[in-house]
Amino acid sequence: MGLTGYSLSLVQASWMTIQLACTSLIVGLVLAVVFATGEMSRRVAFKWPTTAFVTVVRGLPELLVVLFIYFGSTQVLFLITGEFIEISPFISGVIALSLIFSSYASQTIRGALKAVNRGQREAAAALGMSRAHAFFKIILPQAVRHALPGLTNQWLVLLKDTALVSLIGVTDLLKQAQLTSASTHEAFTWYATAAAIYLVITLITQYLVKIIDNKFAIKGMSELKGAKA
Amino acid sequence: MNQQHLWQMFDGLITSFQLTIVSLLVGCLLSLLMTVILIMRTPILHWLSRGIIILFTGTPLLVQIFLIYYGPGQFEWIRESILWNWLSQPWFCAMFALALNTAAYSTQLFKGAFNTIPSGQWQACKALGMSKAQSLKVLLPYALRRAVPAYSNEVILVFKGTSLASTITIMDLMGYAQRINAQTYDTLTVFGIAGLFYLLVNGVLTLLFRQLEKKALAFEAA
Repeated sequence: MGLTGYSLSLVQASWMTIQLACTSLIVGLVLAVVFATGEMSRRVAFKWPTTAFVTVVRGLPELLVVLFIYFGSTQVLFLITGEFIEISPFISGVIALSLIFSSYASQTIRGALKAVNRGQREAAAALGMSRAHAFFKIILPQAVRHALPGLTNQWLVLLKDTALVSLIGVTDLLKQAQLTSASTHEAFTWYATAAAIYLVITLITQYLVKIIDNKFAIKGMSELKGAKA
Repeated sequence: MNQQHLWQMFDGLITSFQLTIVSLLVGCLLSLLMTVILIMRTPILHWLSRGIIILFTGTPLLVQIFLIYYGPGQFEWIRESILWNWLSQPWFCAMFALALNTAAYSTQLFKGAFNTIPSGQWQACKALGMSKAQSLKVLLPYALRRAVPAYSNEVILVFKGTSLASTITIMDLMGYAQRINAQTYDTLTVFGIAGLFYLLVNGVLTLLFRQLEKKALAFEAA
């Protein structure tokens, strides 16, 4: 069955949504690590600004952040350069979404790093490992297990937040549904289809997450617990 | 950006509050109902609740709002029924979408809290000769109290979610902020002030809930 017309554009729009979500995820993860390190820093000059920033972003509605970045960036660039430079909606969307994602994810990462016992770090130091070596070989693999459930939740939230970007003119899934329903006068059909596609993407990721979770689970751990109980 | 604009935003904030309170009330009642249905495994309603949870936690809130506001207009029979009196009003649609959304998420919270009731408490109820409904009456209030910290997040999410109502012509805080922004092009100030309003309310809500948590969980501290 070949896809034509409206269905085809909806598929293309879904691809746009996925691109948007994945780009924001990658940028967001990098930012999250930066924010988490900033918040855990012993230097007040790093710690306070990051904590304040992350708290502010978490307290604002996502829509406000998206619009603020999109309209605000033009104004800031105008104040700096004196020229009207417009940042593309896609890039503003990625910036806004990754900022929102990272301010929540940084909390997860911070918690995960703290959940790794201090003794592990001390033991690594006692064995003569450098701090960086200990971090990547000893701390990080353990922290990932703590962070995964929280991060996958954040990913699902991010996926749903991408719908907001349709309001600043990115032709994502929701925007395409809006355009199609305007031209066909079948609002319910197309919004429901868009909702179904979001649902399918969510369910697929939940399935993938389960596989990843199993991969990172400590082998033999669950059986050990079962034997004790 | 002048003083008149500030008052408009204040007006909008009140609309946001109304929307938050009504949808939380409706959503909370609905989620309590759905939790009991899920626990008692009521035949058909049980599947319906599971469906609502999957649908409303798996799709973006904005899509839900659009679907409820624009969707029903497609069908002639809905437009001619009494339902249309409600469904043609943006305020009702926004409230309904927010309520169903928060109901879906809070049902998960409440069900999770219910699942953590220690089995000893069930056995104690059984030993006293209580039926399942009677034991629920005793055990559920404590389970719900344990859900208060998580529910406070839900309240803040709903308040933040009301900003999406501005997309279906409701003049809430975000709606006024967008209109004033379009009139003045002073994005940084306008959205900055709107952001301050939101932050302030969320800050106050967080503090209030911290007090409430202390009271609600006092039985565990002893």
